[in-house]
Amino acid sequence: MKSAPLVVVIQFPGSNCEYETSRAVQNSGMDSCIYRWNQWQELKDSLPDAYVLPGGFSFQDRVRAGAVAAKEKIMDLVFSEAAGGKPVLGICNGAQILVESGMVPGWERGRIESALAANHISGRSGYLSRWIFLHVAAKARKICPWLGRTGTGILPLPIAHAEGRFVFSEENRYRASNSAALKYCDEKGTETSDYPANPNGSFLNLAGIMNDRGNVLAMMPHPERAYWLWQLPPYLPGEWGDRRDQSLHSGSYASTKGPGSLFFTSLADYFRGER
Amino acid sequence: MGNISIVVSLKAPDPAAMTAMSTFRRIYPETCPDSLERYDYWCFLNPCLGRETVSGIVSRYHDIVNPNKQIWSFIDEFSKLVDRSDDRMVWIDVLVTDRIDSVSENWTAILRRNNCEVEGVLCSVLWRFGFTSGISFDNARNRVLDLTVSTYRDHGLLANPISQKIDLPAPLRI
Repeated sequence: MKSAPLVVVIQFPGSNCEYETSRAVQNSGMDSCIYRWNQWQELKDSLPDAYVLPGGFSFQDRVRAGAVAAKEKIMDLVFSEAAGGKPVLGICNGAQILVESGMVPGWERGRIESALAANHISGRSGYLSRWIFLHVAAKARKICPWLGRTGTGILPLPIAHAEGRFVFSEENRYRASNSAALKYCDEKGTETSDYPANPNGSFLNLAGIMNDRGNVLAMMPHPERAYWLWQLPPYLPGEWGDRRDQSLHSGSYASTKGPGSLFFTSLADYFRGER
Repeated sequence: MGNISIVVSLKAPDPAAMTAMSTFRRIYPETCPDSLERYDYWCFLNPCLGRETVSGIVSRYHDIVNPNKQIWSFIDEFSKLVDRSDDRMVWIDVLVTDRIDSVSENWTAILRRNNCEVEGVLCSVLWRFGFTSGISFDNARNRVLDLTVSTYRDHGLLANPISQKIDLPAPLRI
């Protein structure tokens, strides 16, 4: 019998964030186990309560980021579990896998209705690693198990990707706003499509999208890399930067949770029935 | 004179092509191609452009062709890259291009800034599907479209049509 909800983290060849993601889950009061992509039977037998696809470079981003992993057999299981309502989170490369699997936005079952295209920033191309700010859409806070605790504030999180620009077909552009979960903004909370607030040219400043039911969330920023306040850089403006400075002076720097923890504690709350 | 295209290949076997091929074998065992090749495809736009200009660009900018690990040829001299002296396969080519592409835009800016007589650059990926004889050209072409265009989780692999264009140019003469 399980003492706590089990959140499994799926490691594909080339994933590289599975251990810190698993620790973030455990530090939030849940159990976590890492399964490799070819351990689908063992994973199924463990009766997970939720799934996380971590960041990294599954299959070395060959062909297109997330495209090959999306065709793996283990994704059949994740797909059917998500259809049954279990929470699924894809972080960065995990988000690319969810998009290529058609699990988000998920308007038509299994249909690929969006893309995470190469960053489009004037004057530069390729990989971008920096801290960004985002806010959580009100609807998403209500229906997404990963976002219940995130509140109305501005959250600083790191991004690190070359292909993170959410794109939709022309006919689905209106519909896309209903799938918005996380949106890039500046440190004051103002949305703008300009760099660096929107770091990759993403449509509608989208940093994360969800399915209609809200149980599947694909996000490009890395919450597990901002789980503790000590992970925040010293130059960060805003509320979380102030919190970081205060904890540094009060001696609680190493043990105080940061903005990324809210995504995982939201899920713990969800399983406790506190939302 | 006119737009000039080049293809760039790794000297070693292309790992992306190998991964794509093994994925095809797994998910489409009945219809997967017998051979799959991948090339970088660069099109330099300028109606007055000469081959010497393109050769100069390629030899100057090692981000386009890294001579340590890559080889290249003009598109109409493609046979220099491959040895198909006894080839009876049906080959279908697919060009996959990002609809919005920072790489192309930035290379256009770089080359214009350096007075390279180039009006624009388009970067694509060229996939070449090979089928053993016994399949008609039209059938092979339809099969390639099915394999390439990713519309559902269990349908297609090489291009996401939401963000990428898919073209089937006339087959390269080899």
